[in-house]
Amino acid sequence: MRSILIGIWAAGTVSAQTGEFFERSVRPVFAEQCQTCHNAKVRMGGLDLTSAEGVAKGAASGAVIDRADPGSSRLLRAIGYDGAIKMPPSGKLSDERIRAIRSWVRDGAAWPAGGAVPGATAFWSFVPPKAPVVPKLRNERWVRNDIDRFLAASWEAARVTPAAAAGRLTLLRRVTFDLTGLPPTPEQGSEFLADQSPQAFENLVERLLASPRYGERWGRHWLDVARYADSTGADEDHRYPHAWRYRDYVIDAFNRDLPYDRFVTEQIAGDRTGSIVATGFLALGPKLIAERDKVKAFYDIVDEQIDVVSRGILGLSISCARCHDHKFDPVSTRDYYSLAAIFASTKQLADAESNPSKLYFTPLGPAEEARRYQEHQAKIAALEKEIEAVYTKQRQRRAEKLRPRMADYMQAAWRVYAKGEKAEPVAGEAGLDAIAVQGWVRYLKPHGERIAHLDRWHAVTESTVGVLAAEYQEDYQREAAERRKSTARKYVGDNRFFTDVNGAASPFAIPEKLRDAMASPEAKQELASLRASLDELRRASPPEPPLACAVAEGKQVRQQVFRRGDHNQRGDTVPRAVPAILAVDGQPEFREGSGRLELARWLVSPGNPLTARVMVNRIWQWHFGEGLVRTPSNFGKTGEAPTHPELLDYLAVRFSESGWSIKAMHRLILSSNAYRMRSASSAAHEERDPENRLLARFPRRRLDAEEIRDALLSFDGALDLTVGGALQKMTEGNEKPFTNGRLGMDPDSTRRRTVYLPLRRSNLPGALALFDFVDSVTTAEVRSRTNVAPQALYLMNSPFVTERSASFAGKLLSGVPMPAARVERAYRTVFGRPPQADEIERDLHYIHGFPAGPNSLEAWASYCQALIASNEFIYVR
Amino acid sequence: MTRIQAAHSRRQFLARWAGGFGASALGSLFAGQQKPHFPAKAKSVIFLFMEGGPSQVDLFDPKPALVKWNDQPLPDSLRGNARFAFIQPNAKVWASERTFRRQGASGIEVSDWLPHLAAKSDLITLVRSVVSDQVNHVPGQLMLQCGSPLAGRPSMGAWALYGLGTESQDLPGFVVLFSGGRAPQASGGIYTNGFLPSAYQGTPFRSSGDPVLHLSNAPGFDRAAQRQRIDLIRDLNEQHRLRTGDAEIASRVASYELAFRMQAEAPALLDLSKETAATRASYGLDSPDTRQFGSNCLLARRMVERGVRFILLSHASWDDHADLEKNHARNCLMTDQPAAALLEDLRQRGLLDSTLVVWGGEFGRTPMVQHENPTRPETRGRDHHPYAFSMWLAGGGIARGRVHGKTDDFGFGVAEDKVHVHDVQATILHCLGLDHEKLTFRFQGRDFRLTDVEGSVVKQILA
Repeated sequence: MRSILIGIWAAGTVSAQTGEFFERSVRPVFAEQCQTCHNAKVRMGGLDLTSAEGVAKGAASGAVIDRADPGSSRLLRAIGYDGAIKMPPSGKLSDERIRAIRSWVRDGAAWPAGGAVPGATAFWSFVPPKAPVVPKLRNERWVRNDIDRFLAASWEAARVTPAAAAGRLTLLRRVTFDLTGLPPTPEQGSEFLADQSPQAFENLVERLLASPRYGERWGRHWLDVARYADSTGADEDHRYPHAWRYRDYVIDAFNRDLPYDRFVTEQIAGDRTGSIVATGFLALGPKLIAERDKVKAFYDIVDEQIDVVSRGILGLSISCARCHDHKFDPVSTRDYYSLAAIFASTKQLADAESNPSKLYFTPLGPAEEARRYQEHQAKIAALEKEIEAVYTKQRQRRAEKLRPRMADYMQAAWRVYAKGEKAEPVAGEAGLDAIAVQGWVRYLKPHGERIAHLDRWHAVTESTVGVLAAEYQEDYQREAAERRKSTARKYVGDNRFFTDVNGAASPFAIPEKLRDAMASPEAKQELASLRASLDELRRASPPEPPLACAVAEGKQVRQQVFRRGDHNQRGDTVPRAVPAILAVDGQPEFREGSGRLELARWLVSPGNPLTARVMVNRIWQWHFGEGLVRTPSNFGKTGEAPTHPELLDYLAVRFSESGWSIKAMHRLILSSNAYRMRSASSAAHEERDPENRLLARFPRRRLDAEEIRDALLSFDGALDLTVGGALQKMTEGNEKPFTNGRLGMDPDSTRRRTVYLPLRRSNLPGALALFDFVDSVTTAEVRSRTNVAPQALYLMNSPFVTERSASFAGKLLSGVPMPAARVERAYRTVFGRPPQADEIERDLHYIHGFPAGPNSLEAWASYCQALIASNEFIYVR
Repeated sequence: MTRIQAAHSRRQFLARWAGGFGASALGSLFAGQQKPHFPAKAKSVIFLFMEGGPSQVDLFDPKPALVKWNDQPLPDSLRGNARFAFIQPNAKVWASERTFRRQGASGIEVSDWLPHLAAKSDLITLVRSVVSDQVNHVPGQLMLQCGSPLAGRPSMGAWALYGLGTESQDLPGFVVLFSGGRAPQASGGIYTNGFLPSAYQGTPFRSSGDPVLHLSNAPGFDRAAQRQRIDLIRDLNEQHRLRTGDAEIASRVASYELAFRMQAEAPALLDLSKETAATRASYGLDSPDTRQFGSNCLLARRMVERGVRFILLSHASWDDHADLEKNHARNCLMTDQPAAALLEDLRQRGLLDSTLVVWGGEFGRTPMVQHENPTRPETRGRDHHPYAFSMWLAGGGIARGRVHGKTDDFGFGVAEDKVHVHDVQATILHCLGLDHEKLTFRFQGRDFRLTDVEGSVVKQILA
C-alpha cells in the first residue's frame, strides 16, 4: 500500500516544469554530492538518495523530508549546516544549490522516475580498471613503449617538451640504486660503457633483477608498507624474536618474483596455503602488552590489522569506521565490523582470554619437537641457576669478611681515584684487599652520570673523607640491623647504597674474570662437577626448533557492531564480509573458518577495483619517487586524483592480466623513455609544471637511510653480503623496559646490509631515524626526505662516517699510486662518474693544503668524507 | 693562498651566493611555515615536564578534610568507576603530612616542600583542576605532550615550530633537556615530529658528554680544517648545481652552515661560566642537589635569549608508588630552587612577558595510600591519578598570582572548572598566537591537530 502511494506521488504529480527544474538543478547535486554514500547499496546512515522510495523512507534515524512543514525538513537542516549533522561533509554546498534544493523540497520534493545520472555512484577508484585506449600521437619519435605514449599525450596538451636523454653513467647509477639500493662500482661503470649493443640497458636491468640485492631493496619497500619491526612497540616493546623469518620471506618473494596475487594471499592466509611465515604481515604489528581491558586490547590488534590490510593493500582507510561511519568514503561501521569479524575469528595471541601479553609463536616443525626443546632449555636454565648460586655464596662470604672495614675501603678508593695513588700500595699499607679497593674505585669514582645516593660522597674533600666514609658505613649497618630485626623479607622502600653494596655488582664482589680463580677449593670442585653436567646437557640439547610470529585460525566469533567503538555497547550482529561499496558480486558471507582465505581471494579477484591499481602505483612510486596517485595508501575521496588515470589503469590491467609479475612491471617501466630522461629542470618546466606532475623530466631523489649506510660500507668492500638470518639470538635483547637497552642492535657493530638489522620499535637506530627511516608504527606510504643540520653533523663528525671515510681513503692510498688517479677512483666510486680536469685540480689543491701533507691518510680521509657529505653522493639523478 | 685568505674568499662567495637563490632556501629553514594567527603574547615556551606524576595533595592542593578520613576508604559515592594502575579502589586515604603556607600578595597556598616557588607564587597561575584520560605513564605522557595516547602524533614543540618556525640562526628551534637520572618513559615520543617534517623534531641535548651528537669535530680535526672541508663541500655542491641546473638541492648547504654555526654556538651556549656568580648560585649550580636541573633551567633561559622556540625539560621521575616522602622531598629539593630562579631571572631580564613557563606531569597521584607497611610508615606511596591534578603556568600571556579550578574535599575529583590536558595545550598555543583549531596538518587524508577534536582555551587564566 505504502509503495503504491509513493509511486503515485512520485510519478503522478510532477509537472513538466518541475521535472525540468529537477533534472537541471536538483538531480545533479544529489548525484555529485550525496549518492556515493547514500545509494541503494551503501545507504550510509540508512539513507538512500537515489530514488523517490529512498527519499520517502528516510534515514535510520527518521524521515528526512517533513511533509507537514517542509521548511524544517532534516534534509534542509543538514545541507544548511544548521544542526549536528552537516552534509555534505566535504564542505557546504553553494548558496545557489541550497536554494534549489530548498525550493524543490517546498514544492513537494517530487522525484521523477528514471533518468538516473549514469555512473553517479561511481567514484573512479571503486570502478574496476578497464584497459584504456592507448593515445595516438602526432609525433612518435620520442616513444619507446606505451607508457611514453600516455605521458607524451599530456605533454602535447600542456605544451611542455620532455627532458633530454640522461647520460649512460647517470642512468647506470640511477637504475643500480633503484633496483639494488647500492651504487655501481667503477668496474660496473666501465663494463656498461663498453657494452655497445643496443640491448645494453636491457641486459643491465636483467642482471640487476637477477641479483639477490634486488630483493633486499624492493623487499624493504614492502616492509615499509607492512610496518615491519622486530618488537611490539607501544608500551612495553617486547621482542618478536622470529620476525626475521617474515622479513626473509618478503625478500625472497621479491627475488623469485612471487606473483603479487599469491604474495597477498599468503600474507593474509598463509596458514591455509602452506606458507604460514607470510602471515607475519598480520602478526607483527605494534601491540599494547599491559592494557588492562583485555577485550579492548584484542580489538586493538584486530583494528591494527584492518588498517594495514585496508591501507596497505586496498589503499583505503577503513579504521575510522570503528567508531562512526566514515566521514568521507562510503564505508560504514557495519562494513568495519564485518571485517573485524574475520580478524577476531583469528588466533592472534598465545592466550588472548587470560594472558594478552603472551605472544603467539607457531612451531614450523612438529609441535612435539618444540615442546622437547623448551623442556630441555628449562633444565639448562635450572643448572645455570645452581652455578650462579655457588658464586653468590662465595661472594657473600667474601663480603662478610671485608665489610667491617668498609669505611677504610672507601677512603682507600678515594685516595686512588682522587689523589692518583696506586691501588696496590694503598691496599698493602692499610692491610686491605687490593681487588676490593679497585672495586670501590669503580663504584665511587664519578663518571658523567649522576647517582643521587652518592651525591654526598662526590662532594667529599680531604678533610671530610674520613667522617663521611664512617657515616656511609654506619648508614649501611643501621639498615642491615633493621632488616635483620624485621621478619618481613621484602622491602619496596629502598636504601640504594645498601642495595648496591649488598648486591651482585657490589664493590666487594669478585670481578667476573677472577671468580673461578678466587673460589674456595670446595666451591671449585662443586663448580667443576656442575659445569660438566651443564656441558653434557648443552651437548644433548636438541637444536632450536624454527618458530614463526604468525596467526592461525581461531574460534569463530559472532561479531556485533560496537557502538562508538566501545565493546560494552553492542549493536547488530554482522556477517563476515567485505565492504559494501567494493562488493562487485554482492556481499557473500564468508563461511570458511575465520574467512581470511576468502578475504584474501577477494582482494586479488578480477572484480576488485583497488588491489592491482594500488600496487602498480606503489611500483611506479618506488621507481619515480612519486606515484601516479600521490597518496599511495589513500585512493579514497580525500586522496589525490591520479595525474595520469589512463596510464594507471593501463598498468593495473597489464599487471593482473600478465600474472601479477612485479619483475615484468619493472621491465615495462624501465624500458620506457620516461625512465631514461635527464633530471635537470628547465625554466619552462619550472614555470609550467613545478611539481613535475607531467613527468617531463626524471625526478631526482635523496638516498634513503639504508642506501647511505650500505653505500658507505661498500666503498672499501667491507659490506657483508650474507643473505638472511637472525642477527640476534632468540634470547638476546629482552632487556628491562624503558632503557636504552631496547636498542635492537648498534648498526655500527655489524657490516651486514641495513635491511637485516633488527628493529626495535621504541628505539630505532638513531642514524636511520636521522635520514627519515620509517617509524614502523603504522603502514607507511612514502618516506619523507628531510634535510636538517643534524644530518650534516652526522656526515661531518660521526665516528661511523669518519671511520668509513678513513678506511676508503686507506684503500685509495694503498691501491692507487698517483694522486690524480686516486681522485678519479674516488669520483667513480662515490659519484659513479670520472672527474673533470678542473675538479681534479681543485681537489688536489685541497689535499695539498692539508697540514699533514698530500700523501697523508688524514688528507685523503677528510677529502673522501667531503665527497660523501656532498650532494652528488647523497642525491640520485 | 693561505688558509685565512681562502676562508675570506669563501665568505665573499657565500655572501654572493646567499644573495641569490640561496637566500630563500636559507630563509625557509629558519622562518616559520606560517605567521601567528593573531598577535602572540609569548615567543618561547619552557615546559618543565615532571615525569611520573607529582603528588598534587602534597605540593599544591591542600586538603585538610583528608585528616578526618585518614586510614579509611574513600566514600563510595566519590570513587565511582575510577580505575587505577595498581591499587584497589577501596585503598585507605593518606592525608598529606605537608604544611601549606600562603606567601606573597596573592595568597596561593603551596606546600613546605616548595619554599622557593612559594616565594614567587605571585608570578604564577596555579591550576588545580587538570584532568587526563590516561592512567598509565606512556599513554599519559603522549597525551600531555602530543594530544593523543597513541604514538605517532607530533609533539607540542613540533607543532609550535611548525606553526611559527624558529628565530635562532645558530641553534635548533626545539630543544629537549633531561635531568633526574633517567629518560621519560615515553622516551622520544615526547619530542617527536610525528608525521610533520623531521625538521620540526626536538633536538635532545644529552645530560653528559657532547650535549648534541656529533657536535665535536673528529679527534685531531680543528675548526679551520672543518671550515675548509665545508668550503670544499660547498664547491662540490655548487659545481653539481651548475652541471645539473637543480637549484633546490643546493639549499642543503644551509644545513651545513647551520651545523657549522651550531658547532661554534652550542659550546658558547653551554658555557655557564660566563654567568655571574650570583646568577649561578640562584639556580643552585654550586650544590650537587640542584646542579643538574639548575643547569638545564639556566640553559633554557640562555636558549630563550637566542631565539629557541620551545624548550622541554624532562625531570624523571616522580613516580613514587613507595617511599614518597623521601623521594618527593628529594625531587623538590632538586627542582624547586632552580624553577623559582628561572621565573625570577626571566622577570628581571624582562623576558617573562614573552616566555611561557609551564610546570606539570602526565597525571597526579591518589589521595589514597599505596604500599602500606605498618612497621615502616615512611615507605608509603601513592598511585597514578589522572582525575584531578595540579599544574602551573607563568609568563607570556598568563595571569599572575591566580588560582584556577577546585577539587573536591578529598582532592579526588574536580569540583569546579575542569581543565583537560587538551585545554592546556590549546592555551599554550593561544599564548603563542596560534589557534589550536587552525593549526592543522593534512596527513593520510585527515586534518590533524594537537588537540585532536577537542580542547578549548582556558580564558580565565589569561592575563
